[in-house]
Amino acid sequence: MENYKSNFKELPEPIKQFGGLIGIMVIIFITFFILNKMFGEGDELVAKMKIEEERIAQERKLNKLISSLPSGILVSFDGTDHFRLSDELYEAVCKATKLIPQRAIMGANFLNFRAHEIYTINGNKIDETFVKWDKEKNKCFAGFVVSGNNVGVDETISVSGEALSFLSTGIDTRVYFIKNF
Amino acid sequence: MELFKKYPKLFQWIFLLIVFFALCFAIDVPETYKFIRGQAEFVKDPNQSTFVFLGKEVRYYAFDVFWRLPPLLGWLPIWINDSLFFLMNDWMPMEFWNEDTQEYKTRPLVLQITRNLTAFMTFLIELIREILLGGLETIVAFTSWDWIDANPWAELPGLPWTIVAAGSAILAYKLGGRGLAIFAGLAMTYISIFGQWKPSMQTLSFILVAAPLSFIFGLSLGIAAFKSKRVEKALYPILLVMQTMPQYAVLVPALVLFGVGDHAAVIITMIVAVPPMILLTLLGLRAVPPEVIEAGRMSGCNNWQLMFKVLIPTARRDILIGVNQVIMVCFSMAVISAFIGAKGLGFNLLLALNQLNIGLALEAGLCISLIAILLDKMSLAWANKQVDYFGNLNFFQRNKNSLFFGLIMIVGIALAYFGSIYFKGGYNYLFEVPHNKGISTADFWNKGVDWIFDTFFVYIKAFNTWLIVEVLQPMRALYLRMPAIATIVLVVGAGYLIGGTRSALVVCGLTLFIALSPWWDRALVTTYMATFGVIVSCIIGFTVGTLCFQNKYSTKFMLNVCDIFQTFPSFVYLIPVMMLFGITDTSVLIAVIVYATIPATRYTIEGLRSVPSGLHDAATMSGVTKFQRLFKIEFPLAFPHMMLGLNQTIVFALFMVIIGAFIGTEDLGQYILKALSDKKGAGIGLTLGICVAFIGLIFDNLIRTWVDKRKKHLGID
Repeated sequence: MENYKSNFKELPEPIKQFGGLIGIMVIIFITFFILNKMFGEGDELVAKMKIEEERIAQERKLNKLISSLPSGILVSFDGTDHFRLSDELYEAVCKATKLIPQRAIMGANFLNFRAHEIYTINGNKIDETFVKWDKEKNKCFAGFVVSGNNVGVDETISVSGEALSFLSTGIDTRVYFIKNF
Repeated sequence: MELFKKYPKLFQWIFLLIVFFALCFAIDVPETYKFIRGQAEFVKDPNQSTFVFLGKEVRYYAFDVFWRLPPLLGWLPIWINDSLFFLMNDWMPMEFWNEDTQEYKTRPLVLQITRNLTAFMTFLIELIREILLGGLETIVAFTSWDWIDANPWAELPGLPWTIVAAGSAILAYKLGGRGLAIFAGLAMTYISIFGQWKPSMQTLSFILVAAPLSFIFGLSLGIAAFKSKRVEKALYPILLVMQTMPQYAVLVPALVLFGVGDHAAVIITMIVAVPPMILLTLLGLRAVPPEVIEAGRMSGCNNWQLMFKVLIPTARRDILIGVNQVIMVCFSMAVISAFIGAKGLGFNLLLALNQLNIGLALEAGLCISLIAILLDKMSLAWANKQVDYFGNLNFFQRNKNSLFFGLIMIVGIALAYFGSIYFKGGYNYLFEVPHNKGISTADFWNKGVDWIFDTFFVYIKAFNTWLIVEVLQPMRALYLRMPAIATIVLVVGAGYLIGGTRSALVVCGLTLFIALSPWWDRALVTTYMATFGVIVSCIIGFTVGTLCFQNKYSTKFMLNVCDIFQTFPSFVYLIPVMMLFGITDTSVLIAVIVYATIPATRYTIEGLRSVPSGLHDAATMSGVTKFQRLFKIEFPLAFPHMMLGLNQTIVFALFMVIIGAFIGTEDLGQYILKALSDKKGAGIGLTLGICVAFIGLIFDNLIRTWVDKRKKHLGID
């Protein structure tokens, strides 16, 4: 050990300095390597963010589509004066819709007495809502969950059905009618 | 091997650069890198990872650490904010007597202290403002409104502008002679007849409070640091950071502590103006020859007498140069503090720039510059004035200036009285020319700007496009393309090669602070803008300085030009560039170049002047040509001094880049500006300010260390 020490001391100054430079770089590399192990997610993050990016792109596309739709009620069936959605548009509007207004909820509750009761007792509170496209049935489904205390009993009821019409405001689309019968 | 032995440093630098570039090429930019902006703006995103430190949750994008370090210091701004909130709202609540409501009120201690401090500052500002412009607030503070109603004689107006103008001319005559007196008289008259009297006096009242208080604090702390090594050591890091800290950044936390208005502006100005005063006091006291101290001790001085009768009078010049620096900082802050509601020319300038009314901005800017030049010249004249202790003067000779001032008071009051009769029913122009009622050249300048745009639009646009597309964008992309590890290896390696392990550790610490903050990318943009400005400024400054040095008249002329340009508050530089280039990055960069060229030119001339004349003679005797003398003798010897100029150029450029955020850049300055209007911006503003200060300090450390070594090597230490 002493030998190595004295050998190192005898080295010319530029070599020692060069060694120091390399030493510093090695320390920096090791530090970064450790930090990367602790904090870096690398490819996983990139994959996650790519999905996010795709989602944003898809949302933009749908928003563009919504802004091109006429304002008012959009229906997926014949026999009314309202704007009739083609199959493609129906799917796109379903995917772009996130809101279920109170009117649609009240309409659906009308046919579900217990849901209606919990809904009114608990101050028109809704736990969660969903609008999703069913690929197999080629239909749009919308629903919501009501929960609360009904005469001393905690209850949770899920109401869902086919979203047959939508309301286009020009900025967004909302579910207008849920067929839950 | 022979080459390596001959030029070891060169090979070490080449090796460092190879490693740097290898890392740059080896580490790819993550495909989703654009998301990083959300991190800097504290936007929540489900893809972000989180960590908790000191109870604060920090969100970040977990990129490959070799590319960008996680913001491990992201908790700091949140912590500063919460601490300030706690201090101001919850810490040590106490009962305080409220004079207005005549009852005790519970208030946190810090809030009470800051409110008392601001009340005191407001009182001082009002006092001076009312002497200059009239008003009753101060008298009411000691009496009451009822008393004023009962004693209408107390409703005294302010001083007529004629008295202030003549008074400043007399003071200028006493300090600097006839030339300065004429300049003072003309400047004040200009300000008055152009209708800028009221805002100018508002600015002056703010400076007349901030400057003396900064002087007292700076002098006291400077003396304390001179007396005690511990105080000096404690002050040193603060002074270092404050020297490179952008003034903008101080505004945000001060806003939380002291609120909005002139009082807050005075306190912030003091925070910025005190460090140069401390440094110059320390410098002056240290430069006192030991013989003088010895003579003082031999004469039986006690410590107090030694300090105030011997040391301070001997260091008078340096201390008064400190006063000059304080005044200059006050002027630059006069504009910046308008952001937090300080009234006066700065506010008018800011308003005009906001409305893109270049003519009005130019008028306000010119007035600020005139007052700044005047006070600069007066304070320098005061510093250089020798006290005649042995003059055998009679009463008139001793008191002629006071007598003249008394006479002028009488004449000024008489004129104002005459004006009140002559201009009955209208504005009394002999008392005060109201704002916007004087001569205005704003329309002329606005039309000039329109003409410039109409005539040169195509060329200006072409230049703008070329500069942005061909130069700035690629340069910006290059800076942002640098992986974190490559930048740190380069900076730390440079520190090691220049100053050894100690220097490497210092720059490593400073760089890591920035890299571990959420604003590394914005810091890179700031650095790119500053670098561009510094490169161009140095080319211009070194060339102009070298050319001017060839002739003693041109040298004197250029140093005077630098003096005058250096007195302009930094915001003023934005006016002409906005006239020419509109609201673009080009405008900011040109303002940076103009502003940063001043120290580059000055230090080049000073450096070349510092070369001993003996060497000139020796070179001439050896038969070298002028060109050879310049390149073989003068440049190598002046280079360390010129590098100090580079150091100053970097600091100036950084300041201007940050101020440039006002007209739209995408760097740290922009975030500081945003923090000003953010309820929780105090911590962000302060951390951003420290980041900018650290960029400056990295360069400062590297350059100063190199200069010291080089000076030692050349034997000119």
